[in-house]
Amino acid sequence: MTSARSNVLEIESLSVRYETPDGAVQAVADISLEIAAGECIGVVGESGAGKSQAFLAVMGLLAPNAQVAGDARLRGRELLGADPRALRDLRGAELAMIFQDPMTSLAPHIVVGDQIAEVLVVHKNMSWREARAQALQLLEQAQVTDAARRLTQYPHELSGGMRQRVMIAIALACDPVMLIADEPTTALDVSVQAQILSLLKRLMRERGMALALITHDLGVVAGLADQVAVLYAGRIVESGSVRKLLKNPSHPYTAALLRSMPRIDAPVDEPLVAIGGQPPSPRQPIAGCPFHPRCAAAPSRCTTERPELRRIDGAQVACHFPRSNSASAITL
Amino acid sequence: MSGAFLKLDALRVYFSVSGGWLKPARKLKAVDGVSLEIAPGEALGIVGESGCGKSTLARAILQLVDVTAGQVVWLGRPIESLTVRQMRPLRASMQIVFQDPLASLNPRMTVGEIVAEPLRVHRADLSREQRQTEVAQMLERVGLSRDQINRYPHEFSGGQCQRIGIARAMILKPKLLVCDEPVSALDVSIQAQIINLLEDLKRESGTSILFVSHNLAVVRRLCERVLVLYLGKTMELAPSAALFGAPLHPYTRGLLASVPIPDPDLQPARLETSLTGELPSPLAPPSGCVFRTRCEFAIERCTVEVPVLEQLPDNRQIACHRWQELQLKA
Repeated sequence: MTSARSNVLEIESLSVRYETPDGAVQAVADISLEIAAGECIGVVGESGAGKSQAFLAVMGLLAPNAQVAGDARLRGRELLGADPRALRDLRGAELAMIFQDPMTSLAPHIVVGDQIAEVLVVHKNMSWREARAQALQLLEQAQVTDAARRLTQYPHELSGGMRQRVMIAIALACDPVMLIADEPTTALDVSVQAQILSLLKRLMRERGMALALITHDLGVVAGLADQVAVLYAGRIVESGSVRKLLKNPSHPYTAALLRSMPRIDAPVDEPLVAIGGQPPSPRQPIAGCPFHPRCAAAPSRCTTERPELRRIDGAQVACHFPRSNSASAITL
Repeated sequence: MSGAFLKLDALRVYFSVSGGWLKPARKLKAVDGVSLEIAPGEALGIVGESGCGKSTLARAILQLVDVTAGQVVWLGRPIESLTVRQMRPLRASMQIVFQDPLASLNPRMTVGEIVAEPLRVHRADLSREQRQTEVAQMLERVGLSRDQINRYPHEFSGGQCQRIGIARAMILKPKLLVCDEPVSALDVSIQAQIINLLEDLKRESGTSILFVSHNLAVVRRLCERVLVLYLGKTMELAPSAALFGAPLHPYTRGLLASVPIPDPDLQPARLETSLTGELPSPLAPPSGCVFRTRCEFAIERCTVEVPVLEQLPDNRQIACHRWQELQLKA
C-alpha cells in the first residue's frame, strides 16, 4: 500500500508460537495487515485459524508462554515487546477490544456505570463524579435504552445485547483510534446482531475509528468491512477488498466457504457444497499448502510446496492455482 | 389416518419463578397455547429469538419438561396420561440431538457403547453381535468409519461428535427426531456437512424432524414448514416457500431481514432494516399483541386486543391484526 494512506495499525510478519509439552503450536504464521483510519477490515477464519491469537498479540494479551515475532505498529509506535506500562496506557485508550462473550468480559460484582467510569478515571484522570456523568453519555451513544437506570445495574441484570453495548461503551470511553471486535455478535440473536453491527458501523463513521472485525461469518463481513483477510491454519490465504473476495474469490478456500454457507437469498435446490475434512490442528503442521487436504483441486505441487501470498487481480492470494477471474476455470 | 402422528393442542408450559423474599412467585409463560400437527416424514422448523420458547416447546413434546395445560397427542394418544413405564416404549420413537456435541456424549463411554446404548435399553431382543453390526452400519451411515468404534468422544472433532449424536438418535429408527440447534456450535465449513447429512437421513429414513434453530437459512433448506414463535406464542406458521418468499407477519419479516447475506452490495442496506429493540421480559409480556412493542405497524388496537391465530387457505396461520393491510402495501 502507498504511504499516502494513514495507517492506524500496521502488522508485519506477525507470528505467534507456543512451546508445549506436546510439541510446538504455530498459532499465527507470518501475517501482515494494514488498517487505515475509518476503515473496517474483516478477519475471517474458522476456529484455530489464528484470528484471535493475532489480535491478542497486538493487544499484548497473550499467555506468558507465547513467543511472538514480527511487528505491530499503532500509528507508528511499536506494540510488540513494548514496555508493559506503556502498553497498559495504550490499551483501553488508543487501542480497545471487545470480545465474544460480554458476560465474562464484565466484572459481575460491579455496577455497569462504574465499570465504564473506571476507564475514564484510570486513563483520563477524571474524578469519579465526572466519569460517571460521562458514562451516561457513553451508554446513550451505544444506544442503551433507559441508560440512566442501567448505570446502577449489574451485568447479570442486562440482556446479552445490552451487555455488548456496555462493552462498546467501555471501549469507546477514551476515543480509541483502533477498535478490535472479536466475534462481537456470535453469542447474540440475529436481530440483535444486526443492531450491534449497525451501531459499530455508525460509531466507526462518526469517529473515523479503524475497526478490525474478527468473525467466522462472511455475511457479517459483507455488511461492514471494506477489506477482508481470510485466515487458514494461521496464515492469510487471501486478502483484498470485500467486493473482490465475496463476489469473485481467487482462493479455493474462500470460494468453498462461500458455497458451504446456506444463504437465505439463494435457491433452495442449489446443493450445499460442504468442505470435506476439518480445519487443521495447529499442532500438526501440514506440508505444502495448508488447505490442500481439503481442496478439490490440489495437484501434487500443492502437497509439497507452500504457496506464498502474491498479488492477483487486485487481491493477495496464497495459492498455486488460483481461480481464474473470468469464470470458474478450476471447477471445484 | 389423519396424516398427523404428532399433534399439539393448545400446549402451555409455564414455569414458576420465585419473586424473592416475601414476594409472590410469578408465572413465566414459556409456551403459551401452541397448536400444530406434524405429518410423517415432514420437517418442521421452529424459529425465533432466544427466550421465545422454541427449546421449551421441543422439550415439552419429548416430555422432558412438564406440560402445564393442553395436550401432546402421539399416534392418537394423549401422552400426558401415560405413566413413566407406559411412556418408555414411546421414547424409543422420539429422539433428540443436542446443540453442544461434546457435552451431550458421555466422556467415559466409547463411541460404540454410546451408539449401542439405546439398543441395549429398548431392543433387548438383539444379541450382542446384532447390536454391534447395527452400530457399525449406523456409524458408516453418518460418515464415520467402523474402525473408530472403540475411540472416546474427546478423540473426535466437534463435527464428528455431532455425527455420533445423530447416530445415537437414529439407531432406533425413530419416528420423530428433535434437533435443538444441531449446527450452531460447529465451524462454518462443518455446518454444511451436518446439514447435508440431516437432509440425506430425512430423505432415506422418512423420519419426521422438529428442527429448532435461530439460523433461518438452515431452516429454509431443511424444513417444509416453519413455526415462528415470539414470547411463547405462534406468530406465523406456514410452508417454507410461502414463509420465506412472502412473509406476512411483521416479526417474520424483521427476522428475515436480520439474516446476514454475504453480498457487499446488499448487506449494508439490510443492516439498517433489521428489527429494533429486544425481546421483552417473558415475565411481563406486553398486553394485546405480544410483538407490538417492537412492531413498526402497531396501532391502538394491538395494545388492547390479542390477535387470534387466523387460518388462511394455503395452509398458513397468522396472528396479526393488520396482515391484510400490510400485504397490500408490500
